[in-house]
Amino acid sequence: MVAAGWSLAARMLRRDLRAGELTVMLVALVVAIAAMSSVGLFTDRVARALEREADQMLAADLVMSADQPIPDAFRAEAKRLNLALAQTTIFPSMVQIGDKAQLTTIKAVTPNYPLRGKVRLGRPDSYRETVAAPSPGTAWGDQRLFDSLGLKPGDTIVLGERSFRIVEAIQREPDAAMDLYNFVPRLLIPAADVASTGLIQTGSRIRYRLLLAGPADAIKAYRAWAAPKLQRGQRIEDVREARPEVRTSLERSERFLRLSALVSVFLAAASISLAARRYVERHLDPVALLRTLGASQRLIVSLFLRQYVLLALLAGALGLGVGVMAHFALVSSLATFVKTDLPPLSWWPALSGFTVGVTLLFGFCLPPLLRLQKVSPLRVIRRDLAPAANERVAWGLGALVLCGLIGWQAGDALLAALALAGMGGTILLSATGAWLLLWLSTHLALPLGPGFRFGVANLARRRVMSVAQIVALSLGIMALLLLVVVRGDLLSAWARSLPPDAPNRFGINIQPDQRAPIASAFRANGMTAPTFAPMIRARLLSIGDKVLKPDSYKDERARNLAEREFNLSWGDSLRKDNRLVAGRPLNDAVPEFSVEESLAERLGIKLGDRLVFMIDGRRFEAPVTSLRKVNWDSFQPNFFVVGSHALLGGVPASYLTSFHVRADKQAFVNGLVRTYPNLTIIDVTVILNEVRSMLTRAAEAIEYVFAFSLLAGLTVLYAATLSTQDERRREAAILRTLGASSRVVWQAMSTELLMVGGVAGVLAGLAALLTGALAASKLFELGWNFNWYLPVGGLVGGAAGVLLAAWPLLRKVLATPPLRALNHS
Amino acid sequence: MTPEFAKGPIVRAEGLTKQVGMQTDTLTILDSVGFELPPAASLAIVGASGSGKSTLLGLLAGLDMPTSGEVTLVGQSLNRLDEDGRAKLRAERIGFVFQSFQLLGALTALDNAALPLELAGRANARREAEAILRRVGLGERLRHYPKQLSGGEQQRVAIARAFATTPDLLFADEPTGNLDTQTGAAIIDLLFDLNREHATTLVLVTHDDRLAQRCQCRLRLAGGKVVEREGV
Repeated sequence: MVAAGWSLAARMLRRDLRAGELTVMLVALVVAIAAMSSVGLFTDRVARALEREADQMLAADLVMSADQPIPDAFRAEAKRLNLALAQTTIFPSMVQIGDKAQLTTIKAVTPNYPLRGKVRLGRPDSYRETVAAPSPGTAWGDQRLFDSLGLKPGDTIVLGERSFRIVEAIQREPDAAMDLYNFVPRLLIPAADVASTGLIQTGSRIRYRLLLAGPADAIKAYRAWAAPKLQRGQRIEDVREARPEVRTSLERSERFLRLSALVSVFLAAASISLAARRYVERHLDPVALLRTLGASQRLIVSLFLRQYVLLALLAGALGLGVGVMAHFALVSSLATFVKTDLPPLSWWPALSGFTVGVTLLFGFCLPPLLRLQKVSPLRVIRRDLAPAANERVAWGLGALVLCGLIGWQAGDALLAALALAGMGGTILLSATGAWLLLWLSTHLALPLGPGFRFGVANLARRRVMSVAQIVALSLGIMALLLLVVVRGDLLSAWARSLPPDAPNRFGINIQPDQRAPIASAFRANGMTAPTFAPMIRARLLSIGDKVLKPDSYKDERARNLAEREFNLSWGDSLRKDNRLVAGRPLNDAVPEFSVEESLAERLGIKLGDRLVFMIDGRRFEAPVTSLRKVNWDSFQPNFFVVGSHALLGGVPASYLTSFHVRADKQAFVNGLVRTYPNLTIIDVTVILNEVRSMLTRAAEAIEYVFAFSLLAGLTVLYAATLSTQDERRREAAILRTLGASSRVVWQAMSTELLMVGGVAGVLAGLAALLTGALAASKLFELGWNFNWYLPVGGLVGGAAGVLLAAWPLLRKVLATPPLRALNHS
Repeated sequence: MTPEFAKGPIVRAEGLTKQVGMQTDTLTILDSVGFELPPAASLAIVGASGSGKSTLLGLLAGLDMPTSGEVTLVGQSLNRLDEDGRAKLRAERIGFVFQSFQLLGALTALDNAALPLELAGRANARREAEAILRRVGLGERLRHYPKQLSGGEQQRVAIARAFATTPDLLFADEPTGNLDTQTGAAIIDLLFDLNREHATTLVLVTHDDRLAQRCQCRLRLAGGKVVEREGV
């Protein structure tokens, strides 16, 4: 009999499918797998597109940077791994034309530059994009160089010992952002011509960059190979390390996309658990019959397990098919927004979607399935002999499976912990809350009609089942509400961090006495006068009693930070883009320092440590009294270390500012530079636009992902109402046989459904309120944000959603003649 | 006041036919059945399996509608009532006992018996239900759920529920079909006792000849037609 197990299981599956017994389970599984795989496929492609977009800001996938020529071994290894290679050499020099000279950043590039992204050439209003470097003897200058030297295409400039014909104006270089504070004009020349300029000499301030591009695996392998070989002055950069504001955006979007995948896991679990429960309930009779026909408990379990395996394969094939198609639909509708092509389809997310689906199926179906094993053959005679459902095992295994899947999908301990805390909290809250509300509803003598009374009483009488149903629904609704909140928070955080009037110019090197006239000039031009932050160059000598030794830091970034000169500031350290994370705000009357959190962490600076800085040959010593979190993507002047007025107020400083300039006010900026020649204005419009376009794209992706999770949520509601369909149909038939009017039956059923939906919704709303606030504060660093509308939204949405999902069922129940319903039961 | 049907039959069936459409043709389950039953009488509908007994009972009780023909209960034609009208008539005048008891598993014996009283909006529903449960010998089982009761006890709850509203008419579908002989006999005694106490008209479907013999009237069906009648 066991040998024939697979064919018998296949026949049973076919029969069950034909009879519609497995429809709910199949639909739940297909939707779960389709949602998971389409979200997975899509988010994977979007995430890779975002990564690639970010890579374009590097002009490569990975950059190795050094202050000495890069040893050949690094190039050899890249070639061995079949990586594409390009090289840039960056140094400052004077560019001359006639009697005019301009300090310029020279960038010499190999012919295959850039490896990622394109160079934009031409005028701002008419440009073309190209992957190319200047040809020998020619150079490309940026708009600032053209403006400051009054250049025209075709002019000849002198650089060191040789001349170049300047043929193009650069509107955008992909990796210009790497040199954010490289505020002087820029000139691109061919790498082959560098030597002939005679500018590369010992002691020159030169940055050598090796640009690498290739498959992710090879890049990873290269990184692993190179990291331990890095010497002082050498470092590996990728976009996350090079650009804090891009890093923040990428991390936020990745987290959100992962979170939405987790929501699908929650929803799938709820649907499958409800569907499995119903399936087993309906199979108690056939199993009892099989038992009387001589089937052993082992055979029963093995038969159903095989049936589930076949069902998983069928659902997997259907789910993946739908998932892939849905993902294509998603991509094609997004094509109108996305200017660049998405990377090709990767099958890994589809496989992982299938694995998640199968794991959920077995995680949530096994305990109810084991119930079938215990069915007594006597049930064929006494139908009321049903084995008890082992709720503890079911919940335990379900929780274990969910924890495992969430841990795997989150790939981030904080996110996983938060998701699990949210889930655990919701289960606890909704179970306790549901119990309490049901208890109250039976103990309060409410003046209700018989239908309502029956509905309320029915809920209370089936307390365990009602609580389980409310908990499952709560989880689903909570996940959906959380998605709404988090999505809103995320988008508003992005909008807030980059408003349309975000500063797009930095002004530096402003002398103290120039602040007032510059501010007046702004006001005279109808613009708000910017604020000025003092800036003092300083070198960190010691932390506490330890003299700073860059070599003592293992971390490359820490070493770089320890080596470099700091820009210190003083005064207001807690503007709105700074947040105190430890200690207290600076006291301007006492000498003290406030340090940025990540710098403190890298250099090992703790609250209370005494820092010693050297400024113009003088030592300045004070304790650290606060640690700050800085929002680097605000495009406001910010500093790693800020001192109190009492400490640094008397030190000579230049001033730094940032402001927003509309396109039609460029002449005003040019005028400022002419009036104050020492003033340097850095235009960050290009960078700002790049970041903004990336965020817009991520936001669009989120809208789509959100729609999918909503669909999965509706499946939960559908499964929840279907799971009790048989019972309701029989109850309705009995009620009507006993003389209840359709209004009373309607009232009884809708009261029960509305209460289940409403209670689940309110509790889910409360859980989402708390989890959302926690996520806003800990995950997205937006501060505590309580969305009080959630419990109300949950109540209305939950009640209406359940009623709407159950509407067709209720109509069917009411339209079935009682005799037929009773015969079927 | 004399009830409107007191002068005439409490149940009248005229030309009752029930057909169901099959894939290729139509199957006739019940074919032109007609009879009249006076108040307080008892009728046994007997016949082999598939003879149409239960279908006839369902049509008589208004739980399903005939393809043609008419049922008049307590002076009211079921054909002229909509589903809610029929439900109202059942609530006020009719009780049911089923072979498979049809108790609500989530409700206690007391809640099950109180259900029709609650539906009728009786203020003392639970007290009345308790009294009738004591009458059927389940005074000690009020808070028990159906699965905690034996088959005989479950059928007693069903009988208590049926008589709770003191109906004029009681329909019973194989009331002893799921019970052993001894328990079945006790249930029958209980049914006839209550039938006498409340002057309820009893219409029951049964295989059990002894039970059929205790009824005043008998109707034998075969292939959906009346093949023998006694007293009707």
